Formats: sequence, C-alpha cells, structure tokens
Amino acid sequence: MKDLIDERRGKILSVKDLPTLPPVLEEITKMIEDEHSTPKQIAEIISKDQVLSAKVLKMVNSPIYGFPRRINTIQHALVLLGFNVIRGIIISTSVFDVMTQSMVGLWEHSLACATTSKIIAEQTGLKDPEEFAVTGLLHDIGKVVVALQLPEEKQEIDKLVKNEDILYFNAEKKVLGFSHDRVNAWLAEHWNLPLNIKEGLTYHHNPRFAEFHPEFANVVHIADFICRVLELGSGGDSQLPLLQKKAILALGINFKKLANIMDKVLEDIIEIITFIPK
Amino acid sequence: MYTKQDFFLITPDQSLESLFKELLEERGNIHTFNRGRSAIDRILQTPPSLIILDILVSDISYLEMIKLIKGENVYLQIPLILCLEKDIPQELMDIPAMDLDIDDLILRPINKKEAIIRTQITILKASKFLDANPLTKLPGNTTIIQKIQTLIDAKRDFALGYVDLDFFKSFNDKYGFSRGDEVLMMTARIIVNTVKDICGTQGFVGHIGGDDFVFTSPIEKAERICKEIIKSFDEIIPYFYDPQDKKQGFIISKNRQGKTERFPLMAISIGVVFNIEGNLKHYGEASQLAVNLKRLAKSSPKSSYILDRRIPKNYE
Repeated sequence: MKDLIDERRGKILSVKDLPTLPPVLEEITKMIEDEHSTPKQIAEIISKDQVLSAKVLKMVNSPIYGFPRRINTIQHALVLLGFNVIRGIIISTSVFDVMTQSMVGLWEHSLACATTSKIIAEQTGLKDPEEFAVTGLLHDIGKVVVALQLPEEKQEIDKLVKNEDILYFNAEKKVLGFSHDRVNAWLAEHWNLPLNIKEGLTYHHNPRFAEFHPEFANVVHIADFICRVLELGSGGDSQLPLLQKKAILALGINFKKLANIMDKVLEDIIEIITFIPK
Repeated sequence: MYTKQDFFLITPDQSLESLFKELLEERGNIHTFNRGRSAIDRILQTPPSLIILDILVSDISYLEMIKLIKGENVYLQIPLILCLEKDIPQELMDIPAMDLDIDDLILRPINKKEAIIRTQITILKASKFLDANPLTKLPGNTTIIQKIQTLIDAKRDFALGYVDLDFFKSFNDKYGFSRGDEVLMMTARIIVNTVKDICGTQGFVGHIGGDDFVFTSPIEKAERICKEIIKSFDEIIPYFYDPQDKKQGFIISKNRQGKTERFPLMAISIGVVFNIEGNLKHYGEASQLAVNLKRLAKSSPKSSYILDRRIPKNYE
C-alpha cells in the first residue's frame, strides 16, 4: 500500500494544468479584457473561484518571486504579481471538458465555505478575515486535484459513496489509502502556501492536530459543517461530518453567536449561489 | 558542473520543431508548445534558459507574448529569439528600437549553422546581464544613470523618486539576510507594478542596491505612485515578520551601538524631485536633491513621501 500511496502522491503533485468551470472563466476573461475593471474587482472575482485562487497563490508564493509562504490573500497577490501576470494566469487556464453536476456542487460548496469562514472569523473577532475566506475556499482543493489526476479512482470513490451511503472522506480512505486532507497537505507544501492556510487545509477535519494556527482549522471545520447543514453546494456525499465540540469552544462560540453566524450566512447566500451559473 | 538547460520552443510548425530538436538536442531539453497560451503558464512557473518564439503562433499575438514575458522583472532576463518568415513584417519595423524587447531573430528558410551560433550567442549575452541587480534583476546603476541623464539632456519634464526602507537594518540584524532579501524582492515588485499600473511604459524603475530604489514617471503621476506604493507596502510588510512580532508591532534588536532596542515595523520613505523646463543639469544634482528629500521623509517613523516644492502651478 505504501508504494501505491507514493505513486498516487507523485501523480497528484505532478498536476500541471488546473482547469476551472467554463462560466467562471468566461466571466473573469471578460473582466480582464475590460479596461475599466479595477484591481479590486478582479481580486473579488478571483476570490470566488477555488482554482484561480489556488493558482494565483501558488504563483506569488513560488520561489521565483523570492518570498515563498508569505502571501495569503488574493488582494496582496494581485499587488505583487501585477495585472500582466494575473492576465497570463487567466488566459492560460483551461476549463473542464464536461461540467458535471458534482463539480458544480463542489465549486458552490467551496465558495459557500469561504463566505462562511469569513463570517465566523468576523463574528468571533479574529483578525484578517480575508485570510480565513481564502482557506475556506481552498479547503477541498485536494478533491479537485484527485478528480483530475486520478479519474478512475475518483469514479470508484463516487460509486462507493453511492452504494454504501458513507462519507466521501471515508470512501477516499478506502479507495486511495488517504483522504483529501492529506492531499491538501501535500499540495500546500508543494505550492509553498503560507503556514496558516496549510494548517487550515490539512486539519479542517481534525482541528485538534493543528499546531501553529489552530484558529484556521477550527474556523474552516465549523464553516464546512454549517455549509453541509444548510446544504450549500455539495461535498460529494449526503452525510454530515462529525462536528468537533472543541473547535466550537476554542472560538468561544455560544448559541447566540452560532445563530448570528447562520443568519449572516443565509443573508449572503443569494450572492453565493448566483455566482456560478449552471 | 554541466547541467542541461531547458529550451522552450513555441511554434505550430512541425518542421521548425524537428529542426530545432536536431540542432539543440545535445545542449538541452527542448520543450515544444504548439499553442502560445499553454506555454505562458509554464514560462511563468518554470522559466527556461531560452525561448524561441515563432511568429506563426496563432492563438495569441507574438507581440503580446513578448510584452508579457519581457515586461516582468523576474522574467525579462530570459533570452528570447523570434523566428520569422522570409521577411520582417512591417509591424515589427514600426516598433521603436527601445521597445522591441527581443534578444535576436532568425529568418526562414533557416540556415542551420547560423541558427546554432545565434542561439549560443543569445544565451551567452543573457548570462552577461551584468548591470542588473543580482537579486531583483532590475536595472542597476549604469542603466539608471544613463536613463536619467538621457531624460535631462533631452530636457524632458519628469519626476525622479528615490525610495528606501526605514528600519531595514534592524530587521536584517534580527532575521538574517535571506529574510531581508525577501523584503527587497517584495518591495521591488510593489514599485514595479505600481509604476507600470499608473504610467505604463512611461515609467522606469531601477535598483541602486540594498534597500535603495529609484523610479521616474511623468510629473503629474508621481504623487499617486507614492501614495499607492506606501499603501501596498504598509499592508503587506507585517506578513514578513514572525507572527509574534507582527502581532506586537515591533521587534527587539540591537542598535548601531550594540544596545538592545525596540524597533517599529519597517516603513517606506520616498523623496521626489521634478525636472521642469530643464531646471536640472546633471544626474548628480538630481539624485542629490531627491536623496535629501527622502531623508526628510525618513524623519517620520511612518511611511511617507515628500515632493519637491518647486512644482509649477500648471501641474497641480
């Protein structure tokens, strides 16, 4: 099994071209070609797409630019990469050949999780909520890369989820020998993402293992759960992941705060679900 | 040690592909891209030692590709050879010499010996990119002096900004040089992108050395450039500190006398002089004035800029 895992890891890390959904790319291409678009508008729209955000952060944190692992918001990445490079990233991005319903669901779930993470960070008085939004957005990027690099295994996972009605997370473990949280850890390391994002991505299912920035894992863990409860997008199965009580306590969230967070998420929901046209 | 270099060949032409494979096989790994767009991503992520770009590439204009690659300080040192058809197109002739940013060109039908030599010379020349700052790859002092003296001699109106960092030394002392280099790379990117964003090709950025940078711009754009640089720098610099220092907003390091002292997070200071109706006579005078203004800006521990007061009314 170890050799097989190593082989799969190699395949995952060799991912060259990360495609996104056709309507998303269409919209952003329109935007960069419009002279009146401001960097802020461009940052906002990139912040809604997990693949473009991952690409931009990977680029700005690459050793070529000389400050790996430092930059964790799209806004800052835009300042440092400049319009020219952002444009290069966008025009070289391709789209999925087929836009499957499960992919659309994953995109919506990721975007909902970004918004929810930001709201939780704001409501619990954490600094720099934008960084939590990015982490929430990317928390399932491992699923996208597995679907691309290991398509056969991905089909098996889907089959298992359907037939046995189990968590996607557990189906991944059965088929691959690891789940998307491991994949996230590998990718975050390989792409030189900052430590707080890396820990959020790696430990969003098990926040108690986060060593340096537990608040990121806690926030995304809870955001993921809320989005599942509210059925915003789809994480690939119809189950609820286990909510860890410690994460709630660590952030000082009580019933009143939780209600406030849910209200705010529902308020912002229109914006979330209308971004990705079907 | 001899390591094989990576060459990127961007062409839809199969005969060109096999020709260059034959010519360059021994010298390096040739990666061929039939489409320009697919090459861009790879160039941005893993810059090669040489790019051979075919004018026949059709999914994106070759001029746009050149602009994209050569417009960035981190990529502009990659040598680029443009491969043309039998003749040189008029659009290429119409580009002012200063703006035609390619390193060589090869015409069809291709003479094999010539192609080999040109490729070698181009790679060699690129490695001699001596004046560039070794860290940021921005133009160094020779180019800076030349550029500014040319503007002065032509009696062109322009703004000249001198930029440096406050408390850079104490940061370096505490975190070490490689962390300091990260800050310089970041600062270079901010200045380059801001100047480019605000004045396109009318601006110029150079790296004098250490934490000293210069830029030139049209007079009326200088103040906006200063404001934007300061805003971006102040937002991003905290992320270059360890979490604890970022949180408390200062570092403990040694001062010039070797005594332990508190230092605020780094700030950026800019001094700007204007050349109006040829009031400046030579580079030394211009730089001295700008440096003095920058020093004045530095007396504040926060990021700040000071503009030459001699700005005439019609520019305000």
